[in-house]
Amino acid sequence: MSGERGGGRGRGGKKDDKDKAKGDRPRGGFFRRRRVCKFCAEKIDYINYKDVRLLSPFIPERGKIQPRRISGTCAKHQRSLQVAIARARQLALIPYVTD
Amino acid sequence: MSQTRQYELVYIVSPDASEQAVAELHTQIEQIVQRFNGTLDKTENWGRRKLAYEIGHAREGTYVVETISGTGELMKEIDRRLRVIDTVIRHLTVRIDEDLRVADRLHAQRKSTQARRRTARGLPPEPQPSERRGDRDDDDSGDMGLEGAEVQR
Repeated sequence: MSGERGGGRGRGGKKDDKDKAKGDRPRGGFFRRRRVCKFCAEKIDYINYKDVRLLSPFIPERGKIQPRRISGTCAKHQRSLQVAIARARQLALIPYVTD
Repeated sequence: MSQTRQYELVYIVSPDASEQAVAELHTQIEQIVQRFNGTLDKTENWGRRKLAYEIGHAREGTYVVETISGTGELMKEIDRRLRVIDTVIRHLTVRIDEDLRVADRLHAQRKSTQARRRTARGLPPEPQPSERRGDRDDDDSGDMGLEGAEVQR
């Protein structure tokens, strides 16, 4: 799936991947993933661990933290997001695991 | 030697405790803060909230958030006290002054960059309400579709 860009790891490579995936897929009508960091786009400087509404999009049903490659969060904000989620978990605002 | 710093203290009081007990706890903390020459900047009571998971046997709890300026020793003492009190089922202390400073700096930086660029373009430094664009983009549905694709692979 990675194509001619070795590994397809960078942003550009990833995009190529997605375009191909789109080609593979007969079901029409879905957009290329938005690769924008939410915190950069909305200019959130401090990721507040008490704001469950802010954090919840990054916690899928299982309760794990959504990886950067899916959420599109930039490295800097993913790091602070990690800390914020860890704190929120400790305060029982967010579950550690859910099954 | 010890510096004054800003901390944020969040504690969860057991659902069995009465409102009066919560208030008492608050005054207790206030007293400790005063004893160590700190200041209690802000108190926020979130009221009763459902917990994301059980702590002990509690399924809900009363959340209280306090913003405190003081020394590390003060926080150490509060931490020790909260550990002992068993109506407090969970507490967390976070130092926030540095984070707030960083956030302020970023905010100011962005403001000044914006002002500089706008004056370079011959516009007033502050954006006018009339030129606001829609902040939201509407391809969230695309996100969902791809998450599914990711799982399938």
